Amino acid sequence: MKVSLSWLNDYVNIEMAPSDLAEALTMVGLEIESVSERYRYLDTVYVGRIEEIGPHPNADKLHLCRVDTGREQISVVCGAPNAEIGMLSPIALPGTEFPDGFVLEKNVIRGQTSAGMLCSEGELGLGDDRSGIMSLDPSLSVGDQLASALGLSDTVFEIEITPNRPDCLSVIGVAREIAAIQNSRLTYPDFKLEDKDNSISRQTSIKIEAPDHCPRYVARLLEDIQIKPSPFWLQERLLSVGLRPINNIVDVTNFVLMETGQPLHAFDFDRLSENRIVVRTANKGETFITLDQKERFLDAEMLMICDGAKAVAIGGVMGGLNSEIEDDTTRVLLESAYFNPVSIRRTTKQLGLGTDAAYRFERGVDPGGTITAANRAAKLMAEVSGGRAVGGLIDEYPGRQSVKSLKLSTQKTNRLLGTRLQRKQIENLLKSIEFTIGQKTAAKDKDTLVVTPPSFRVDISRPEDLMEEVARLFGYNNIPTTFPQMPATGRLSTKEINLRNRTRLLMNGFGFREAINYSFAHRQSGDHLRLKAADPRRQLVNILNPLTEDQAAMRTSLVPGLLQTAHYNFAQQIKNLRIFEIGKIFIDETSQQLPTENEVLAGLWTGSRYEASWHGHEAQCDFYDIKGVVEAFLNALQINDVQFSRLPENECTYTRPGYSAQILGNQTRLGLVGQLHPQVLANFDLAQAAFLFELNFDNLIPLLKDTTVSRPTPKFPAIFRDITIIVNTALETREIISTALKQSPELVEDVRLLSVFEGTPIAPGNKSVSLRVTYRSPQKTLEDEAVTPIHQSIADRLVKTFNASLPA
Amino acid sequence: MDNSIDQIYQEALQELKAAADRQTVEDIRVRYLGRKGIITQFLRNISKLPADQRPAAGKQANQLKNLLDEACQETTHNLETVGETAAGGIDVSLPGRPAPCGSLHPITQINQRICDIFTQMGFDIAEGPEVELDYYNFEALNFPKDHPARDMQDTFFVSDDVVLRTHTSPLQIRTMEKQPPPVRIIMPGKVYRCDSDLTHTPMFHQVEGLLVDENISFGDLKGTLTAFVHQMFDEQTSLRFRPGFFPFTEPSAEVDILCVMCRGKGCRVCSRTGWLEILGSGMVHPALYENVGYDADRYTGFAFGMGVDRIAMLKFGIDDIRKFFENDIRFLSQF
Repeated sequence: MKVSLSWLNDYVNIEMAPSDLAEALTMVGLEIESVSERYRYLDTVYVGRIEEIGPHPNADKLHLCRVDTGREQISVVCGAPNAEIGMLSPIALPGTEFPDGFVLEKNVIRGQTSAGMLCSEGELGLGDDRSGIMSLDPSLSVGDQLASALGLSDTVFEIEITPNRPDCLSVIGVAREIAAIQNSRLTYPDFKLEDKDNSISRQTSIKIEAPDHCPRYVARLLEDIQIKPSPFWLQERLLSVGLRPINNIVDVTNFVLMETGQPLHAFDFDRLSENRIVVRTANKGETFITLDQKERFLDAEMLMICDGAKAVAIGGVMGGLNSEIEDDTTRVLLESAYFNPVSIRRTTKQLGLGTDAAYRFERGVDPGGTITAANRAAKLMAEVSGGRAVGGLIDEYPGRQSVKSLKLSTQKTNRLLGTRLQRKQIENLLKSIEFTIGQKTAAKDKDTLVVTPPSFRVDISRPEDLMEEVARLFGYNNIPTTFPQMPATGRLSTKEINLRNRTRLLMNGFGFREAINYSFAHRQSGDHLRLKAADPRRQLVNILNPLTEDQAAMRTSLVPGLLQTAHYNFAQQIKNLRIFEIGKIFIDETSQQLPTENEVLAGLWTGSRYEASWHGHEAQCDFYDIKGVVEAFLNALQINDVQFSRLPENECTYTRPGYSAQILGNQTRLGLVGQLHPQVLANFDLAQAAFLFELNFDNLIPLLKDTTVSRPTPKFPAIFRDITIIVNTALETREIISTALKQSPELVEDVRLLSVFEGTPIAPGNKSVSLRVTYRSPQKTLEDEAVTPIHQSIADRLVKTFNASLPA
Repeated sequence: MDNSIDQIYQEALQELKAAADRQTVEDIRVRYLGRKGIITQFLRNISKLPADQRPAAGKQANQLKNLLDEACQETTHNLETVGETAAGGIDVSLPGRPAPCGSLHPITQINQRICDIFTQMGFDIAEGPEVELDYYNFEALNFPKDHPARDMQDTFFVSDDVVLRTHTSPLQIRTMEKQPPPVRIIMPGKVYRCDSDLTHTPMFHQVEGLLVDENISFGDLKGTLTAFVHQMFDEQTSLRFRPGFFPFTEPSAEVDILCVMCRGKGCRVCSRTGWLEILGSGMVHPALYENVGYDADRYTGFAFGMGVDRIAMLKFGIDDIRKFFENDIRFLSQF
């Protein structure tokens, strides 16, 4: 909200410099977003002198003036009848933005170039006179900026008012805070209106049929008014806070709105059927054309202001086209109401229609301020329109609420704030913003204050609300800084957090960079990954109001994000990537309100294993590179009993059949590792082979050991023996190794794969597999003789089990 | 006799000095220390000396023998290295074989630092769902339905009752529902708001804190956050507490820190105010205690929350928040 220093000065004598005032308001909770000079728009307007006036060759009513701007002589087309040689007048240069929004450009007017504009008071927003150009005091210096030459200066503050302080959505509200800061007096305008009679009640009536929505409705009536532009002082006030003057009646409603925070509405009384007001909720399916000429579709919860026959306004939101003030309006019904904030809020949300009035009503205006605002406006309207207020006002107040007072304990206030305020200090702070302090409850109770907040403080309902007032007026920065006592009972991090932190460091060690992608997904992400119809990852959590198509649901897999990251980097000419992400996936469950959230680790490796360098040629990464990462990762976590088995072809949706493995541990699937399916790559506009792994943390956590029991390190040397067998290529080496280990005596410590070879001299369809067996005894140094028979028996078993042959 | 062994040793050293290659050194070694070497011979002859001279002579001869052996080895090693440097050695400026080295996302780094500071103070870490019930995200935090306070946070809706959490504050309620006071937790996590520009992304990160106990005051809040800021930035970074509004705290405070870029002089980053708003905070609103069944007369507490992304932007001098989620390797590899 904007307020100007000059307007504030009408109610409080401001002693501070504008920058100090801005700081002080910020520190009591009215955050100043910007401080600007009101006459900034005059920066390109100078004191000019008319040096020469000649006729315009192509227009009778225009002159061609030569104007000295102080820096140069320019030619200006001017139509003012009062232009004279030697006269000083404001000269606006191109770029000037006038209060009515017009931006001056260098122009050609009827074939003559005009390099500036001589301006009237009205055009500059400095007065009423538009009859001719402004004649300036001859003693001013030509070339000076107009604002400084005339001593024009006003500061405009843009204030961010938090939703709890609707009372500050007005100039008086801000002035009240300033008065409290300065400990000075707030002067209210004259809110009284003498009524000779109560003739209004003979001319109109107000009927509230929806008291829940409209607890109070105050009306005044004005007659014999004449619609015309407002006097300058009124226009100037509105302009100073960024509002455009419209006509005298509308301007008064806006002025009083800004001054008091009470929204008002002026109806053309003669356009109200039966000259009366009925306040009711809308009928289902009812439509209404608002002032902005738009048709609105209403529902039964919306509050309508109606006359004897039809709706004339959406209550508290916007008036209707059918009762608008027109140039020929002579009688005005002035509405000053208190509408239910929730009702107004629902209506504005539903209609997507926000106005200055609705903004205040939905935050809560002062239910006690309707009469004063109506009086103030009626008086001003009469003054600026030549009309008069009809005697009396109507005040329908079905929703009257009793004033509530609160008990505030000095001791509890000090306990919460960490202060040592005296009861009297608290009392004075609260009084400074018009809270009333009741007489002492009981003579003995020196602790408790009985506080009644003023009616405009709709945010105050608990003692803590009062404590906040005390704290902010005392000054947050004056409250002593202390430190809470923290007993030494900290807990260790959870397994989840430990695993996550550990994982990040391990992945770093494997050369993977951490990525963070949005948790959103495209609604078609299941198709992009070729997921089967029954895949739970098709159970999307959809967002009702997404920002973009590709963020319209929550992700059910980290894979799309990693592929998008790859795509982004490829476009930056980065072709070699090792990235990982740890994040949640979200599976919608129809049986429960909230989705299942699982934490997942996923890694992607694409491009080179080694980049080309002096060490050797570039080599592309493959399945075994990424599998090695997974193995090392699980190994580091001491999750040892893990199997990699081929993912059945019908389960390979986003990975390539035959090149994908599921990772099994303790009978559960921990995740998968494999090459990305070429179609999925294509779906993400990628052409380069990529390998990925996914591990589900929820399945990994049960496999983490709490403690590790150490084993003795071997005391005696080992003997290594190799075996090479030739088997069918289809045979998985995992089978061979487990068979070699099976039924082996305790001397066999380890069986490791040395090499796998296909090609000549091995017959097609076969491969040679070499194993190295480690033998060791815990009791003694082994002799060759002890190992040879065991080794032979392993070789025999392999040959027999797999129908293998031995190399020639 | 004494002189003669010493003399032999000196002669051997002279010869070693003159040796120009490894073979020469080896020849010298064999000539003096070999099986038939001069010193070996000398040692054998010690038995012919009078008994009283034998121990001293033996000791001296053995010492010289060892010294000469070492001298031979040293000369050989010197000759090796001298020779190889002369032959060119290797180009030590060539890059080594790359060892794998990844990186942690800058948000992760800042998040961990924030968590470290608070866990060292005695706070525990709590985590919770990112898709959240309206009740926990708003209602129980004293944001009534149809209240303008809800406009403060542009919300993504999943249904009427389910939202993407707009802050990590729902965990205040979830935690207090589960345990009696005292509560000392920090709550890091992803949050979502429908907003996207230079300084807003629809997903970002927060760390929230909550401390509820007997006699916790606004002064304690100030102390805790001051200690945090001094560790996160430095001791020169002063703080400013000013009134703000959050429905779930009362009194509420916005916390500004002295601009870390210009140190309060005023610059583009702080919009020339000299201050940066980095934390929201306040004393826990009594309505929350009512919602979770805590005794509001007995317990008081404070809560605070901060944007991790914003702090990361300040710490690393990043001007566009969207960079965090593009995952450009050239960006990620800087951290």
